[in-house]
Amino acid sequence: MDPATGIEPVITSRNLRKMYGPHLALDDINLDSPPGAIGILGPNGAGKSTLFKCLLGLITTTSGEGTVLGYDIRTEGEKIRSRIGYMPEYDALDPGLSGVDQVRYSGELLGMNPAHATRRAHEVLQYVGLKEQRYRKIETYSTGMKQAAKLACALVHDPDVLICDEPTNGLDQRARDFMLQTLKNTVTEGNRTVLMSSHVMDDVQAVCDRIVMIHKGKIVVQRRIDDLASQVEREIEISVWGGASRMQEELESRGLVVRRMGRVLRVIRVDESTTSEIINAAVSAQVQVRQMQEYDPDLEDIFLLIMDKLGAEVKRTSDLMTEAHTGGDETA
Amino acid sequence: MTKLPKEDLDFEGSKTRMEVAYGAGDGDEDAKAIVAKSEAHVGTLFEQSYRPWDGELGPRWTRNYAIFRHHVYGLFRGTGHRHYHPMVRLSIFVILLYSLLPVLMLFLASLSSDGFLNDTFSRLWGINRYNLWGQVLGYFPRNLCCWPMLTALVVGGMISDDRRFGTSAIYFSRPVTRTDYTVMKYISVAVVLGFVIVLSYFVYYTSAIVFNGEGWAYLVDTLPMFLGGLIAGILVVITYTSIGLALSSISQSRFFAAIAFLAVIYGTKLLALLVDSQFDTSILYVLSPYDSLAHIGQWLLGIDPNYDHPLAFSIVSMLLYNAASVALLTFRVGSLEVTRE
Repeated sequence: MDPATGIEPVITSRNLRKMYGPHLALDDINLDSPPGAIGILGPNGAGKSTLFKCLLGLITTTSGEGTVLGYDIRTEGEKIRSRIGYMPEYDALDPGLSGVDQVRYSGELLGMNPAHATRRAHEVLQYVGLKEQRYRKIETYSTGMKQAAKLACALVHDPDVLICDEPTNGLDQRARDFMLQTLKNTVTEGNRTVLMSSHVMDDVQAVCDRIVMIHKGKIVVQRRIDDLASQVEREIEISVWGGASRMQEELESRGLVVRRMGRVLRVIRVDESTTSEIINAAVSAQVQVRQMQEYDPDLEDIFLLIMDKLGAEVKRTSDLMTEAHTGGDETA
Repeated sequence: MTKLPKEDLDFEGSKTRMEVAYGAGDGDEDAKAIVAKSEAHVGTLFEQSYRPWDGELGPRWTRNYAIFRHHVYGLFRGTGHRHYHPMVRLSIFVILLYSLLPVLMLFLASLSSDGFLNDTFSRLWGINRYNLWGQVLGYFPRNLCCWPMLTALVVGGMISDDRRFGTSAIYFSRPVTRTDYTVMKYISVAVVLGFVIVLSYFVYYTSAIVFNGEGWAYLVDTLPMFLGGLIAGILVVITYTSIGLALSSISQSRFFAAIAFLAVIYGTKLLALLVDSQFDTSILYVLSPYDSLAHIGQWLLGIDPNYDHPLAFSIVSMLLYNAASVALLTFRVGSLEVTRE
């Protein structure tokens, strides 16, 4: 139990380590996750999937210990999996089954009797927005419907913890919004814990209040998003016209730290005088400042900042995405 | 575009001349169209509310029985369980009917009072060592064609579908162990094969007793033969299930698993047959799972073997085929992933 909050953590681990032969997949993982929505972030190969497998009790850890809902991940994997709902990243549905049969079978595999599983399948399919499509074969489902069906399979037994691996993969904006809303409802209304991995920082920010960032098998950050955002240096965002490069040079010559994204420059706010420094720099550089505002850092900024500090060459989070994440849309 | 004369469009007291002409006196001129008003609010498609479930999850056997039911009931029911193509179900049904053909012949023989016909039918389909062996292992169309075909149809997508569609995650992210998964898939296939191979053998033997009105003495005389054939049938089911599932576990294709199984059965048989016909040696029949089983079956039923090599070779061959298949199956099921492969 966390002495400060008095809340029992749902997931804990101490010095958890997992090696695949000589390759170190997880290194000294120390987790203390309270109930709520937690985003698991990290570049590809960081160890997110290995962490999920450890938490599900599917693989033996090399050393260390951990618990999920009070059950030991080394010895009580079956009990953990009975109380966890797992939504895999890729398609894990039988295309020959209808939505309701697939969800019912998922429930039966957990030990639900067929009548309960059928009734519950109808309920959760309605919850994920597939009420009208539940009797259709899964092979006729769109990507969004398949993601929703996977979520229904994971929710069928009303799990205490829901683990979602890239839940918005390949979804269009509308389906994505609905999926995020559903996950959020599961946390707020259902009072369940959601662990969600995603490369789309907006998605994580929309659902989660905490993040766990993994890099090269190590946890590098484990905090509330609000706390992290308050620690990031404040920036002033300016939109300039006619010589962004000149403006950048001018600002840098005045000792200011600048990040440039096309015509938009973000200048780290040093003190009250930074604003007037920017205006003076614009006069010197002879550029128009069309917009100037305080910039609130989002999760994307926090992620990139941390990755940058760790020396990871990640320019933007979309670099981390494969075709499976974007559904083949390179602009996503 | 044709233009109407101006006067036709002139309004007279909110009515055109056309309206005055056609609507005079029948009340139409006062008719009003009621249009849906814009303030009709846009409804919510559905109200999303999380409903908890406080039921109890059953023990291990309920989960395992769900796997068994899913795979076996799919053969009998069109929806709700594993989907078998209608042609697959039809083929299995035809094979079952074909395996029960001797029962019909025995029935016809029992109806006949003609001594010659009765003798001929009894010789061809009556209960004796050769016919019992033939029912499970001997006669070409059924045993070298129907049983492998049946196995190929059943095992085709049994594990390869899980690999192909990623549905292994449905099992392993739940409290289903890999052992349970493998054992229940194995039992599912074995039950379907057993239903056709062993049950048809049992029905054949019992119907012969019923149709011929045989008594306890006959039963005692023939029971050892029957049990020998029964064991042979069970060995066929076990061996074909092991090989079939192992082949299903190494691919993502139903077709590969099915065709590979037929290739193993027919390929080894054909190779051994060619060598036997050219060099007059039966030793290569130890490579053929079918011939190993046939050899063991002949021994179990006490009939002269068709093979020159010692029986021990065939027993070892059958054991090796089973052991290698189960080892491959276990290894491949162990490699099925829950997260991305």
